[in-house]
Amino acid sequence: MNHSEAFEQQAAERYLLNELAPDARDAFEAHIFDCPECALDLRAGAAFVQEAKIQLPAIAFSAPAPARAFKSSAKRSLWVSLWRPAFVVPAFATLLLVVIFQNVVTFPALRTASTQPRLVPLAPLHSATRGASHPTVTADRVHGVALPVDLPIGPGIAPAVSYSFQLRDPQGKLAFSAAVPAPVQEPSADQPFSLVIPDKSLQNGTYSLAVTSVSAQGEGTPVKRYIFDIVVTD
Amino acid sequence: MPAASDMPQRFQQAMLYSFVPGSAESSLQFHSFDASYVENLCGGDRQTQEHFVAYFSELLHIKLRSRLQSPHAIEDVCQETFARVYSVLRKDGGLRQPERLGAFVNTVCNHVLFEQYRSTARSDSLDEEGAPELPATGADALDTVAAGQIKKKVREILLRLPERDRSLLKAVFLDERDRDEVCRQFGVDREYLRVLLHRAKQEFKVEYIKHVGNPPPLCADA
Repeated sequence: MNHSEAFEQQAAERYLLNELAPDARDAFEAHIFDCPECALDLRAGAAFVQEAKIQLPAIAFSAPAPARAFKSSAKRSLWVSLWRPAFVVPAFATLLLVVIFQNVVTFPALRTASTQPRLVPLAPLHSATRGASHPTVTADRVHGVALPVDLPIGPGIAPAVSYSFQLRDPQGKLAFSAAVPAPVQEPSADQPFSLVIPDKSLQNGTYSLAVTSVSAQGEGTPVKRYIFDIVVTD
Repeated sequence: MPAASDMPQRFQQAMLYSFVPGSAESSLQFHSFDASYVENLCGGDRQTQEHFVAYFSELLHIKLRSRLQSPHAIEDVCQETFARVYSVLRKDGGLRQPERLGAFVNTVCNHVLFEQYRSTARSDSLDEEGAPELPATGADALDTVAAGQIKKKVREILLRLPERDRSLLKAVFLDERDRDEVCRQFGVDREYLRVLLHRAKQEFKVEYIKHVGNPPPLCADA
């Protein structure tokens, strides 16, 4: 072993950690007796380890204690400062105002909106056909829009136990997804559904709605696909 | 290797070749392992002898600590090595390559160690296997020159380490636990351990050189 090999292989550290194989250990020892630089390195390392062995029992667990104490006292002082009246009173007053506003204004309005009847414009919709232009549906931001969707039920169509709906917005993202159980009715007529798109989520562009029937075995079969343009008016 | 019955004689040798406290700093600062160094050594030059004993005592102790458990056995091998080296050097034409003095000391030590192993296998007289390690009684560099500053420096380095690294060193060096198990427990690899030791050692080395001296032999004419 020469000096550069000893340096590159971190031989002194490996020696002190007793990681060298017997041959490598012998080679390194032969080297240190010939290389004052490596000998100094090893002597310093050995002296450090020897002294550390003496001091570690006293230091290992006693030293962190003041650090922990300092940290916990710092944490405690921060926690205590948060409960000073100068901070707590305005914070609680603000929270109280928010609670009052929600109870007096926001919640009653939401309750009214959800319980009262409202009119939603119904737009005609036809399933997509090759080469046909998309129907355009005009909707306003106040009421949103309701779209009639026919579920194909009749002879020649496999009985479905449920239907799934997937609405994609103009960016192609999935905007809405739902599944409904298949209605029990006369097998001669289609079952109409209404898909209501709330006013808040309306945007101009081309939407697509895919309807899939799901059989008892869990197999999905696309049955209808609607593509339509929505023009939003204020 | 002298047998156990030769203890008084070996003890005399130990006294003869013992490291002289307080003289390490000066004795480690000069001399080169060359013909003039060997000549001075054989001619009884006190400073050269002190340097020789101080320099190689430490290396021999480091080497022997990994091989022998008993401090007495370590000291015996060390002293026997010095005795044989002196014996060869004092003969006419003792050492053909004076610059290989270090390698020669190591070779002699290996021979003595081998004899020590054989002697232990026969009588178990020197190396008290399984006996608890006694505190070092010899006067080494740490115990003598600026030991206080060196101890302080080690303490500083240890205190500056994160608690985890301190616990890691304790587990490895003090508890002597299995390295792989320790690494697993602390979530580190062997390389982390080596780098941790390397950094601590490098920082300590500056202080060590300041107080104990840098032993690389300088040219005699420098």
